Amino acid sequence: MTDLAERRGTETTVYQPAEDSGLLAEAAIAEATGRVLEVGTGSGWVAERIAEADADGDLEVVASDVNPHACEQARERGLEVVRASLLDPFRDGVFDTVAFNPPYLPTDPDNEWDDWMEAALSGGRTGRELIEPFLDDVGRVLAPDGRVLLLVSSLTGYEAVIDRVEAAGFAHEVVREESYPFETLSILRLTRR
Amino acid sequence: MKESLLDIICCPLDKHDLELEVEDREDGEVLEGTLTCTDCGETYPIEDGIPNLLPPDMREEAPA
Repeated sequence: MTDLAERRGTETTVYQPAEDSGLLAEAAIAEATGRVLEVGTGSGWVAERIAEADADGDLEVVASDVNPHACEQARERGLEVVRASLLDPFRDGVFDTVAFNPPYLPTDPDNEWDDWMEAALSGGRTGRELIEPFLDDVGRVLAPDGRVLLLVSSLTGYEAVIDRVEAAGFAHEVVREESYPFETLSILRLTRR
Repeated sequence: MKESLLDIICCPLDKHDLELEVEDREDGEVLEGTLTCTDCGETYPIEDGIPNLLPPDMREEAPA
């Protein structure tokens, strides 16, 4: 059983790059255009990969996180960083690409740690407590031809996420997929229907 | 933060424009300062080059 205790390891403040980060970075390097926002950037590793892969200097990468320690680590990588709750402080229609590796592990509320690592990993009881408000608001900040790159784990309830994607007015395509012993990770590319 | 970030950020409460007041600037970046909503007047600090645009009720260092 993959649970928070295993995922946490010994790190208690900032989520460090793992398989999910690698998969999102790979997809984002291939798919990102224009002005890019990485929501919940954690250590800033994915956003830095995107910026470094941009040899022509066509991209403008912005990273955000709710966790002040994550914001500091991301800034140390030379990124433009905003401390934010999801998409709240971003203007309408300004991003061509939004990438998000959400906290997605379903978590029993009686078994939470109340620290920053929990905020990085836990998606609440359903695993979708951050994914749902993200999907409901991301269309607002996206440019007309913009795309979203969203990491979805099988642990989070793939079908339930897809239902929400469709309800939010997006079409989806799986652009990366990897299976691990306890979960399958997919990167969805969402575009307006 | 670079001043050009103002083109993409707004007040998290009401989405209105933010006005920048710079206290410390280095190499074209704002290191310390304040962002003030032009509508509701709420202020948001910029510390060590990072604007804190959490709504006031989320600004505490919690959950840790």
